[in-house]
Amino acid sequence: MTHSTLLIAFPKGRLGDELVPLLANTPLALDAAALKSRVLRIPTATPGVAALLLKGADLPRYVAAGVASLGIVGSDTLDEMDMDLLELADLGFGACRLSLCAKAGVTLEDLRAKPHLRLATKFPKATEAWLAREDLTAELVPLSSSAELAPLLGLADAIVDLVQTGGTLKAHGLVETAILGRSSARLVAARGAYLSEPGRIRPLADMLLGALRAKA
Amino acid sequence: MPVRTPHFPDLLFGSAARLRRWEGALMGLLADHGYRELHPSLVLRETPPEGALRFFDGDELVALRWDFTVALAGLLARSFPTPPDRVAYAGAVFRRPVQPWEAVERFEVGCERIQLEGEPAAEADVELARMLMAIPGLLGLKSAILHLGNAALVRRPLEAEGLFGELADAVVAALSRRAPHRVREVLDGHPSASRLAAHAEALLSELDGPGTLGALESSPYAGLLEEETSHMDRALQALLPILPPNLELRVDLADVAGLGFYTGPTLRLWAPGAQQELAAGGRYDRLFPGLGRPWQAAGFCVRLSRLLDLAATRPDLFEEPR
Repeated sequence: MTHSTLLIAFPKGRLGDELVPLLANTPLALDAAALKSRVLRIPTATPGVAALLLKGADLPRYVAAGVASLGIVGSDTLDEMDMDLLELADLGFGACRLSLCAKAGVTLEDLRAKPHLRLATKFPKATEAWLAREDLTAELVPLSSSAELAPLLGLADAIVDLVQTGGTLKAHGLVETAILGRSSARLVAARGAYLSEPGRIRPLADMLLGALRAKA
Repeated sequence: MPVRTPHFPDLLFGSAARLRRWEGALMGLLADHGYRELHPSLVLRETPPEGALRFFDGDELVALRWDFTVALAGLLARSFPTPPDRVAYAGAVFRRPVQPWEAVERFEVGCERIQLEGEPAAEADVELARMLMAIPGLLGLKSAILHLGNAALVRRPLEAEGLFGELADAVVAALSRRAPHRVREVLDGHPSASRLAAHAEALLSELDGPGTLGALESSPYAGLLEEETSHMDRALQALLPILPPNLELRVDLADVAGLGFYTGPTLRLWAPGAQQELAAGGRYDRLFPGLGRPWQAAGFCVRLSRLLDLAATRPDLFEEPR
């Protein structure tokens, strides 16, 4: 890897599943053979530009440290991590809600009335901000995945989690009782790279935006 | 319990020699321009702020110097009935890092240009920019970029709209991220939303040469900011003809870093590919009045620790030392 190779950090998982087809047949299309392998650094259709496939929670660190010049990550992750990044555009896709969810039949008022409310979440910062706005207190149960199980098994009274279609909630007998915020994919940039080399980074950002808008 | 090793860098031979050489060269440059050194104590007398490195000396809570400008301001306000007009400083400050990779002990060289309130400030601002322009060559950087900004471009519209406190902070945070969509989100429902969103679009529309100032014409606050625009234009006219080779001059209308401190023009020095600015400064006219002195001031600070890191990680950005 040389300093002349530009790296873009792409998310694995839900956002990545939506992103990869959007990039197909664009200058930033990912090499299909590499995608099928277990390789995490993948050439794109543009020489000198490669993609890193990263977990959403790790991605902002790679960009903030300047390892990757650009990245695509959900605004929910950005808000939780509060890294020093530039956020150049709301890309629109990957839209979902950050919601308070409980077992069917449990209302927001029921939860408010609990003397000791327990909320399981992997979004403690957003949850704490919402609790403060609502003048509520709660015990936060930190989880990193499968939060839907927590209310069913008595680990928590409710969860704060991302909801896209509601299918997973329904499958677990949960319902949304309040919407705390909304999230979508954002184009982020390393502050240093963007400000010190705009001649290199802005055209790449424009290329990425152009590729995604062409598919919109 | 997890142990986190704080970053107190030990400098081995090469870095130690480079630090000494750079510090000497920079202080020489400042002395040539009439800046005389003051050395505020390493131990703070004032109430230690958050972020300072604090400890007990017997029963007394003390803190290490965390910012030269603040330490110098206290010293100057205490010791001088009228201000020395040009002051330089060199040494270390100690600050708790915001990011885990940041150093706690940071070496700096800097200067301050101090005047009585009401004296013409434009020449002082250009004097500082001219000195900063000489620094990349002095340090052996092959190329560099100087960003000119102005804190008033954001501060004045916010004040004109009566936006203060958390909402103003949220707008500034969105601008710092260079995210006009976040500005719109933050201001959703506020009477000034459309005007400030349009202003944010104008500030963020360009990051390029002198033509960037033209972007302000589309701002709803173009009239309010005529004086600042004119000041920046005059500074560019003064600086562009004397631009050293391998230094780019750019206008950054959306520079909001340190907005709570800076009141006017700002300066930031970058090297291509560097992840952090290497020097920063600007005008901060509210500092001395807050200490009971009717003085105005501007200055800049060269972040030698970042330069040392850059020399270690990107030696290709530097000329071979002669």
